[in-house]
Amino acid sequence: MKTMLLLEDGTEFKGESFGFAGETVGKIIFNTAIVGYQEIITDPTNFGKILCFTYPLIGNYGVNEEFNESERVWVGGLVVKEKASFYSNWQAKLSLEEFLKEKKVVGITCVDTRALTIKIRDDGEMWGIISSEGKSKEELLKRLTDKRKGKESILKEVSVKEIIRFKGKEKRIVVIDLGILKSILRQLHNLGPEVILTPYNTPAKEILKLKPDGVIISNGPEDDIELSKVIDTTKEILGEIPLLGISVGHLIIAQALGARLTKLKVGHRGLNYPIKNKDSFKGEITFQNHSLTIDESSLGEDIKIAERNLNDDSIEKLESEKFKFVSVQYYPLSPGLYEIHPILKEFIEMIKG
Amino acid sequence: MPKRTDIKKILIIGSGPIIIGQACEFDYSGSQACKALKEEGYFTILVNSNPATIMTDPEMADATYIEPLTLKTLEKIIEKERPDAILPTLGGQTGLNLAYFLKKEGILEKYNVESIGASIEAISKAEDRELFKVSMQEVGVGIFKSGIARSVREGLEISENIGFPSILRPAYCLGGAGNTIVYNREELEVSLAKALEISPVHQVLVEESVLGWKEIEFEVVRDYADNVIIVTSMENVDPMGIHTGDSMVVAPSQTLSFKEYTDFVNLCRKIIRKIGVTGGANIQFAQNPEDGRIFIIEVNPRLSRSSALASKATGFPIARVAAKLAVGLSLPEVMNQITGKTTSFFEPTIDYCVFKICRFPFEKFSTIQRVIDTSMKAVGEAMSVGRNFKEALNKGIRSMENQRFGFGCDGKDRISDEVLKDPDQNLLEKIKEKIRIPNDERLFYIRYGLKAGLTTEEIYNLSKIDRWFIENMKELIELEEEIKLSNHLNNLSIDLLRKAKENGFSDRQIGFLLNCPEEEVRQLRERNNVRAVYRLVDTCAGEFSSIRPYYYSTYETENESIVSNKKKILILGGGPNRIGQGIEFDYCCCHAAFTLREKNIESIMINCNPETVSTDYDTSDKLYFEPLTVEDVLNVVNLEKPMGAIVQFGGQTPLNIAIPLEKAGVNILGTSPESIDIAEDRERFRQLLHKLALNQAENGTATSYQEAKRIAKEIGYPVIVRPSYVLGGRAMKIVYDEEDLESYMREATEASPEHPILIDKFLEDAIEIDVDAICDGKICVIGGIMEHIEEAGIHSGDSAMVLPPYTLTEEIIQRIREATKMLALELKVKGLLNIQFAVRKNTVYVLEVNPRASRTIPLVSKIIGVPLVKLATKIMLGETLEKLGFTEEKKIQHVSVKESVFPFIRFPGTDPILGPEMRSTGEVMGIGKTFGLAYAKAQLGAGQKLPLKGNVFISVRNEDKRKIVFIAKKLSDLGFKLMATKGTAYVLSQNDLEVEIVPKLYEERPHVIDKIKSGQIDLIINTPQGKATKIDETHIRSTAILYGIPLVTTISGAEATVTGIEALIKRQLEVKSLQEYHSQ
Repeated sequence: MKTMLLLEDGTEFKGESFGFAGETVGKIIFNTAIVGYQEIITDPTNFGKILCFTYPLIGNYGVNEEFNESERVWVGGLVVKEKASFYSNWQAKLSLEEFLKEKKVVGITCVDTRALTIKIRDDGEMWGIISSEGKSKEELLKRLTDKRKGKESILKEVSVKEIIRFKGKEKRIVVIDLGILKSILRQLHNLGPEVILTPYNTPAKEILKLKPDGVIISNGPEDDIELSKVIDTTKEILGEIPLLGISVGHLIIAQALGARLTKLKVGHRGLNYPIKNKDSFKGEITFQNHSLTIDESSLGEDIKIAERNLNDDSIEKLESEKFKFVSVQYYPLSPGLYEIHPILKEFIEMIKG
Repeated sequence: MPKRTDIKKILIIGSGPIIIGQACEFDYSGSQACKALKEEGYFTILVNSNPATIMTDPEMADATYIEPLTLKTLEKIIEKERPDAILPTLGGQTGLNLAYFLKKEGILEKYNVESIGASIEAISKAEDRELFKVSMQEVGVGIFKSGIARSVREGLEISENIGFPSILRPAYCLGGAGNTIVYNREELEVSLAKALEISPVHQVLVEESVLGWKEIEFEVVRDYADNVIIVTSMENVDPMGIHTGDSMVVAPSQTLSFKEYTDFVNLCRKIIRKIGVTGGANIQFAQNPEDGRIFIIEVNPRLSRSSALASKATGFPIARVAAKLAVGLSLPEVMNQITGKTTSFFEPTIDYCVFKICRFPFEKFSTIQRVIDTSMKAVGEAMSVGRNFKEALNKGIRSMENQRFGFGCDGKDRISDEVLKDPDQNLLEKIKEKIRIPNDERLFYIRYGLKAGLTTEEIYNLSKIDRWFIENMKELIELEEEIKLSNHLNNLSIDLLRKAKENGFSDRQIGFLLNCPEEEVRQLRERNNVRAVYRLVDTCAGEFSSIRPYYYSTYETENESIVSNKKKILILGGGPNRIGQGIEFDYCCCHAAFTLREKNIESIMINCNPETVSTDYDTSDKLYFEPLTVEDVLNVVNLEKPMGAIVQFGGQTPLNIAIPLEKAGVNILGTSPESIDIAEDRERFRQLLHKLALNQAENGTATSYQEAKRIAKEIGYPVIVRPSYVLGGRAMKIVYDEEDLESYMREATEASPEHPILIDKFLEDAIEIDVDAICDGKICVIGGIMEHIEEAGIHSGDSAMVLPPYTLTEEIIQRIREATKMLALELKVKGLLNIQFAVRKNTVYVLEVNPRASRTIPLVSKIIGVPLVKLATKIMLGETLEKLGFTEEKKIQHVSVKESVFPFIRFPGTDPILGPEMRSTGEVMGIGKTFGLAYAKAQLGAGQKLPLKGNVFISVRNEDKRKIVFIAKKLSDLGFKLMATKGTAYVLSQNDLEVEIVPKLYEERPHVIDKIKSGQIDLIINTPQGKATKIDETHIRSTAILYGIPLVTTISGAEATVTGIEALIKRQLEVKSLQEYHSQ
């Protein structure tokens, strides 16, 4: 079915329907990972986004729900160059297309994704609409503008609805769940402590009542109006209990300490972002998914910038003895999905004192 | 970490001659390393025996030694230059092994030299099978059940534990040399004995076989700070059981899930840290396609063919980075020159599909089966880039220059669609067999299978090629059938045309399907604006803008190749390496690019060979990674509109398309295609020689067998027959009688269908001469005159050569000079030309004229110290030799010998005799004060272990019996013991020589083969009996190859060998750098 992707500036990309045929509006982002489509579309951080994969062949190894990073698909739409008409992998259970249809996710294929990527790179992230309904350009633009105005919080959707406990030994960690990835939870589980997931709007008092040895503010959507609530909660517990911020959690801690955020012209989304400690030559290649970063000039004293992005010098890791926290902009996943990332180990050590 | 200041001088070891498994990828890596280290201010010393390389250009290193790669020479160079460090990771397995043995022999300690890049410990951990096993167990990666055998008995014990089939892998061997699959005890015994012989340390890994598993590779880079990056993953389309060098490969992996991918990445990081490489490593895994289990196959702690491919596939210059890391820099400190913004500490990500496909030399070894297995046989490869696999596949196939223009439907399919519609049982069985047993045509048999109705599942079960790839091939067939339904070009919808182009179909294929010439398809495309656009290889999938990307074509909406308003010239490269066309031509193309840069003209390179320097990101101003077909080249021309194209440097490839390009309006620079045609067209050439009163062997041109028979009779046998327009003596043969001729005519028609057969009188016992010269249309200057050591009739690419000539009189040489000049001026050559002469009984015959760069140009340039290609390029730009200051032939004070290197060991059972069909893959050069010394060096460089004492076995044909006496006498005087077959022994003993008679194969035992096997023979001189070579002769020669015994098959070669041995016994070999030679 003929399908169109229209950008807010009026640029059209013609293609074919992929997945669920329908209409979707969202901010367009691109991700440069060559593998991991299923994990990326089930990452709650991508809620409502129209995601463009720069890798042109998507769906080759099918889908297996075992690999979902959360309970559902969060992206609002998908843009690919070529959908695999056949998948091949011993673990695959169904095709990506079937999966998208089942989850009612609208996608478009046969798009010059490189042209789209370069446009976003040069002009900045923008909104778009995918539609397979054969509407006129004007009508689509109007729908795009209308949809864009509505600014509802999505945190309540990505976060747990009630407190959930995972049994463990010795230490107790509370995770303020803004849409935590399963692969991070799995690592925590393997580390051994008791883990308690709390809804994003759990007040500080309630959190403290759980007597955590440490609190993790998870990854999640970074441009949500309700995040201010989490910032307020964070302010109350900062310095009281050891904190770990992951991705948006990292931004929340910085804001709780009075820092401002700035927007990257092009978000960091992919598997190949280098970070480095400024005092050594040792670094790490990290998985990332964010568009906002901390304005360094607004950062207060007693906070140490421990690691930076090697490409653009942006802040990747903060730590502070005074405020008892450590936070990272990247996803702590890089040593392999089933291995424990050093930052999580570091946090557990911090808790143990 | 800043670069090290405790080292100042670094010795780089090259990889020597081009052989199967070790080709020009090491010239590419070595050249990058030389540049990288010079940039950092180190004094670089380079040693490589291969003169055809860019790395041995005198500008590349501070001191360049074209010397044999042996421990002895290396020690001499180390003693003379006193380097602080050696960098052994860029010279392939040769470099690595040399470093290992330099350490083992205590030479590194003696001169206080450190091995950088890979320490000796790291090399041992990766190469020593036992240490490797232990290291991998510590990492926790699965390893095959295996054991190390040091004897056949040990091997048998191991196999009881492993079962069959199992794989034998000799330790410290390159490109899977000697790797064999054995299916039973008997095969194990036989093959293991050979494998133990091949391994330099006499160790063989006997390993459980996992035929049919997936083969996955990763290119990994690590620095001293312990940072590790993955450059790319690669998935072999062909499963385990086929050497990765022979496999079709895609990058990145296509069928790995995210979890599998990250598991592999995680393992790679652990493995490279465990081995401790500083620089690049290639890690190969096998994965069970049914349950995902991962096993490690091997780790190459060095730059490799795969790393060259990974570099070209991603834009990440692994060799350059590896060299910088070796001297202590860390990845974050080395900039990414493609983006100009980021550092080398990042993992390239790509937004296209890369496909690699190999070229095999089976047509040169007609006696053996065209089967591929764990021992590498490919001589070259092409890389193609597309936005999907199907596009890359089609482009890859037409990059091979095998006369195929895509995945079938190009008029060259062996089995027609009509037959496949209703295949009989026999055909179906044949197709299945061709899919089941890996061979060079398997890809096309999959096509036939699909067309004949085999399902993806059936083909998977036969081939174990992942279903994903087979399905993609099926989609191509479906698309092809859709096109065919249009019936006529006029009915072809533009949407379908666009879809076909997006999936890589060539105009030729579409034309074939719709019964029209490809030009008409092109016109239709242009009318409807269906044009190729160019996208970037930029390391980052478009996330950053790039300052130095390269380009590939596709059919999409946006063209990213911005055309500059500078003057620009197109250089057409040589495509995939093959026997007859290899690194020498790439050298020439690179020099053309360097010269254009010097002249401030934009150089635009088109080539598809990922192993080469010409496809390095900084060789030309703009690089198009494209097949060298008329269609693909014209697409670039239409966009760039260059002022001209250079076609005389890339070998036969660009020449083959020169005329269509010229017809399409491309300005061919230098010598005109018209002149090229005069030289190639027998009739026109004959008239030319007649006009100039030059001699030619009697000859004729035949288009039918009857005609050939008549001509051959008139001329008189023996005659040389060959198709016109070929390189490397393809299908060239000396024919002794009519029967021979008939069988030749039956088989040779495939060699070059559009052109007739040429017949020449074979000049028996003539001396052959090669001349390289340069001409600006006004004057012609000789570059070098080379005398072949072997007599005429042996392909010039296979013959050893001496510069300057060593047996010719000055009068003859003068006549050769004059003839060269006359021919150059008459043909209005603007650039290079190569002429082959034969001298017989004081008459000089012209054999052929090639108005283009020859295989010997790099060598001659290095010997005389004049960059001939650069001068030729400038001539094409309008300069004159006078202005360039090269008006006189250089006199040289030393003697240089070129020797060829052959791949016989890869094709067991082949008769290793020399003939008019070229079969060598590479060459080495020896330089010395005398002929003997230079020849000895060339032999050592070529891997012939010339003995200084021991037993010589002699068996020659009757015509040679007189001549062998003197040679035998000399050997006897030098202290060798003589052995001979009855006939030869009789002649020798008649001449007062003491000789032991050795029985022939079917006489009694121990016969000659027994003696070879038991190591009682150190040198074999065996000249073949004219027409039909006797089976036992073939057996002697092929056994000699297998056991690495020096083998000489011509009398002239034997004379030279004896002179060389004498020189080795009586004099010391000295080493001297090119810079020293040139400053004399």
